[in-house]
Amino acid sequence: MRRSNHRFSGTVGSLLLVAGMVITGQAAAAEDPISAGKKLAFDRKKGNCLACHHIEGGTLMGNIAPPLVAMKHRFPDKAKLREQIWDATKNNPRSIMPPFGKHRILSEKEIDLVTEFIYSL
Amino acid sequence: MMKKTIISVGLALLIAGCSASQPEKPMSLKEQYEAALARTQAAVEKAASMEGEWRDIRWKKSKKRYLPKAIEAAKAGDYEKALKLLSIAEFQAEMGYKQAMAEKNAGPHLYGL
Amino acid sequence: MRKIATLLLSAGLVASATTAIASSPKEDLEKFRAYFEQKFPGLQLDDFGNGAYALDADKRMQWEAMEEFPPYDEFVDKGREIWEKPFKNGKSFADCFGKDPSKVRVRYPHWDAKTKQVVTLEGDINKCLKENGEKPFKWKKGPIAWLSAFFGYEARGQKINVVIPDDPDAIKAYEHGKHFFYAKRGQLNMACADCHVKYPGHFIRGNLLSPALGQVTHFPVYRAKWAKKSKDGDGLGTLHRRYGGCNKQVRARPFKAQSKVYRDLEFFHQYMSNGLTINAPGYRE
Repeated sequence: MRRSNHRFSGTVGSLLLVAGMVITGQAAAAEDPISAGKKLAFDRKKGNCLACHHIEGGTLMGNIAPPLVAMKHRFPDKAKLREQIWDATKNNPRSIMPPFGKHRILSEKEIDLVTEFIYSL
Repeated sequence: MMKKTIISVGLALLIAGCSASQPEKPMSLKEQYEAALARTQAAVEKAASMEGEWRDIRWKKSKKRYLPKAIEAAKAGDYEKALKLLSIAEFQAEMGYKQAMAEKNAGPHLYGL
Repeated sequence: MRKIATLLLSAGLVASATTAIASSPKEDLEKFRAYFEQKFPGLQLDDFGNGAYALDADKRMQWEAMEEFPPYDEFVDKGREIWEKPFKNGKSFADCFGKDPSKVRVRYPHWDAKTKQVVTLEGDINKCLKENGEKPFKWKKGPIAWLSAFFGYEARGQKINVVIPDDPDAIKAYEHGKHFFYAKRGQLNMACADCHVKYPGHFIRGNLLSPALGQVTHFPVYRAKWAKKSKDGDGLGTLHRRYGGCNKQVRARPFKAQSKVYRDLEFFHQYMSNGLTINAPGYRE
């Protein structure tokens, strides 16, 4: 009884795994995280990063905040970069940068994608 | 002795907590909606009383208007959608209130003048 | 020695934290002006009335070209017509504001000791209409902005001169407006001061941020953005219309034009520009 149960869950598990791979595989074919993140970063109603930051390839860029270059150098730890996007006021309570995660301006998934893009710069 | 009392009080609380969080009858979607609506409305008023209400909760020119749209959805019988919208409105109201509280002492001294 | 310095420093910090809240309007004004003069050492006080155009040569040239044949002229003329046209009861705006239209703008906003509130020019325009049995204007644009722009135009060259009387209720209203100006709000978590104290002269997208000092001198303002939205090219709008637009942009719920919040904000905001020359209406992008 116990054994058959175990086998059953194992089958389901691998089926799910395969399904998961297929789904993510399809998403990746449609769009990789970096270009998906770029779209969100450039979208005025989403990240709107260009309002304040210079990013290569952007137009009508603001100069309130530092240009987004050499990000791996500035944020060796990607998680720290994500935290900065999630809530910049944690480091500096008067920061003008909107707290994208804390105030749910972007979803957690969207923040992951934007982080991937910014980290690639 | 002391320790024993603390443990038993703790246990009692734990048990009480568990039984309290297990309602006798599961709430229907409609009941959940009604409870969430009351909570959200109270939270919005609280944020507004501090001048901390955000744009998209109920302002008539907002395209999102989470709160009135939740009420519309409920009227049309779609309680799941209504609950989803209410959860956004409630979150925004709570955050607006928290923000206003955190900014209570805002002034020129925070801007170097 | 170092210990003493630290002690002194922390005492100073504590003192500045408390005095910052208890500072008088006059002290606030001095610090406010000194801050902007330090930030933009090349500018004369009245240059601030030209907003972002005082800060960017390219934008200034385009703007000066616009001001040569100003698109707001026809609406200032409409304001003059409203001023001259008698009410149905035979009286006119001159019965409320006095015969000389050039002496109106500088009296606003002011504290009214009887009603214990801030009185604005737009508020008194509608009060005058109501008292004479006329229908009040809508608050943010159209006739109220035309008439207000006419008063501003007639007052060009005079200086902003808001008086905060030594009355606890007036100080309370002033402090309320001041707090509103410096407090972060909305989903985007931005204060008026974030853009217009901390970052004037910087670009936000394609827009150059204006310094808070001097913003009120050119209101009502004619905005190209508003003209585009209107059917007849009327880009004039009141100060409170602009407040609402700013609050909306940071995703805060805007307050109603002429609400207590915005009147108190105007009290503080205009007072901070005391001594600057009125140049209303102004043209802006």
